[in-house]
Amino acid sequence: MNAIVKIRAESPVQVESSLCARFRCTKSQCAACAIVCPVPGTVRFVEQGVEITEACVACGACASACPNGALRPLEGDRRLAERIRDRVRPAAAFRIACTRAKGRADIVLPCLSRLTEAIVLEPIRGGAARVEFLDPGCSGCGLKKAAPQWKKVLMFSRNICESAGFGVDRVARVSVPSGKPEEPRGRSASPNPRRAMFHAIAERWKASGASVPQEGEPKQTPAELFRDVVQRHHENPKRSDLLEILPSLPGAKLRSKVISAAGTPLADLEVDRHCVGCNVCETLCPVGALRHREEKGTYALEFDSALCTGCRVCEAACFYQAIHVRETVDLSVLFERPRVTLISAPRRTCQACGGTYLDGSSEFCSLCQVSGSRRDAVARRFFSGGITK
Amino acid sequence: MAEHNPIIPREAIDRSFALKGPKQYTLWIDIEHCIGCNACTVACKAENNTPVGVDYTRVIEIEEGDFRDASKTPNVSVTFVPMPCMHCGRPACQAACPVGAITKRKEDGIVLINKDKCIGCRYCAWACPYGAPQFNAEARVMEKCTLCVHRVEKGLLPACVTTCPAKVRFFGELNELTTLMHGKRARSISISVAGADTKPSVQYTTTR
Repeated sequence: MNAIVKIRAESPVQVESSLCARFRCTKSQCAACAIVCPVPGTVRFVEQGVEITEACVACGACASACPNGALRPLEGDRRLAERIRDRVRPAAAFRIACTRAKGRADIVLPCLSRLTEAIVLEPIRGGAARVEFLDPGCSGCGLKKAAPQWKKVLMFSRNICESAGFGVDRVARVSVPSGKPEEPRGRSASPNPRRAMFHAIAERWKASGASVPQEGEPKQTPAELFRDVVQRHHENPKRSDLLEILPSLPGAKLRSKVISAAGTPLADLEVDRHCVGCNVCETLCPVGALRHREEKGTYALEFDSALCTGCRVCEAACFYQAIHVRETVDLSVLFERPRVTLISAPRRTCQACGGTYLDGSSEFCSLCQVSGSRRDAVARRFFSGGITK
Repeated sequence: MAEHNPIIPREAIDRSFALKGPKQYTLWIDIEHCIGCNACTVACKAENNTPVGVDYTRVIEIEEGDFRDASKTPNVSVTFVPMPCMHCGRPACQAACPVGAITKRKEDGIVLINKDKCIGCRYCAWACPYGAPQFNAEARVMEKCTLCVHRVEKGLLPACVTTCPAKVRFFGELNELTTLMHGKRARSISISVAGADTKPSVQYTTTR
């Protein structure tokens, strides 16, 4: 029983560190969650990426803002999508409200910033004519710092709609006065809320995979080393949900839609000739969008643009500054999922250190060339007036 | 015991160890009297059990002068420069590491690589102007001079310092060493390679 109570007392947002850009690369400047979090002091940057403190009000803005899906609210995206699926009425408008919006809504969320693209598109997949965000105006709200996030999601969803050949007005914002929303009881809602609550606890208990703690010595599992953790690439749940929804949108006719990559959870990459094939970008990419291939002495770096979330870890990590995020991105990659080869060059082995590098004119890798000239620099420092008192 | 040293009294070392708060342990190397025997390299290998090809400290030989010109008297000399990690004030390796595996400890200024975090990308070797980080191909991680942190924490001196037969390597706190250096040897230099202002802490002296 204690363990069940503990699950209830857990933070409302769980952090999957291995997907966090900050955890994987300390040079990452990602602060998407902290920027939108409406309560100061809730998001803390720690060695394990981020930590959600007890001040959390469970608005879900951070989970929506994190491009890599590292933050997971207790009511996960999939369960929320299920709830929406139950309430969608075909050919009608689907109205999403926050707790301050007045009017009839199909679903009420603590804050509109909980929405993600996949959740917004869920009613459209279910046949809804329109998705409406009931906006009571965020200026008087305690969570107003999270407002830019839902506007961003709204914009991105509209862009996706346009790319799918729908009108942009399939997703729209509707101004409403502030008040209390009316939410219909879902068709699948249990007539006994008490029983439903206990069922929900039991479900969460099963999902958490926890077992009843045995009396006696606590089990000690050795912590996994960081360098082993980064070798694995976890699935980004947000992106897989979106990629699952897109092909099943009814009546979608794919169109090319180029948007600016800034502020979009999507990016297009390019690699220039400075690349040495060190594979750091592949190792550190949280979502596994980069994969390398080696065949017959040729090194090739492949990029799955539909998985890329534009977190810019690769750009920050690359010492040679060979990888860049393009300024624009075509949304059609989400539908087509092309695999792009970013660079393909013959691999060479350095005559001095035995390390490998990509094609160049010299027989030595650039590291060995530089360390030779550095040694000369030290010598010059000693013997050409470099001695200082 | 080899720790007896005519230049640096034991009390000075004890004073360094006793210092509280942020400090910078470092080495003072007298290149004027270094005989290039490589005992420090060997002692370091034995102490840190490093594989072939990984040397935390090396000795660079710098030759100068010319003896082929018959019109002049031969004027040749060779200088040995031991090159450990400089435990820089602003480490270039730390700035280059993509995963934050390299830290400079506040309490003693020692720059350490966390081998559990290191992904073996060699960016630090590229960034370091002094060639200190070395790639351990067996474990696929980077390693470098730790200033024998395991010995220093026990109040012992680094292995290279106790071994040096010519007594040219001295260990201590940077400010303590600088004071001593001014008393014993007039000139001091600190290597810094042009274009890399990393504030190296290791001090070299020469009477030239």
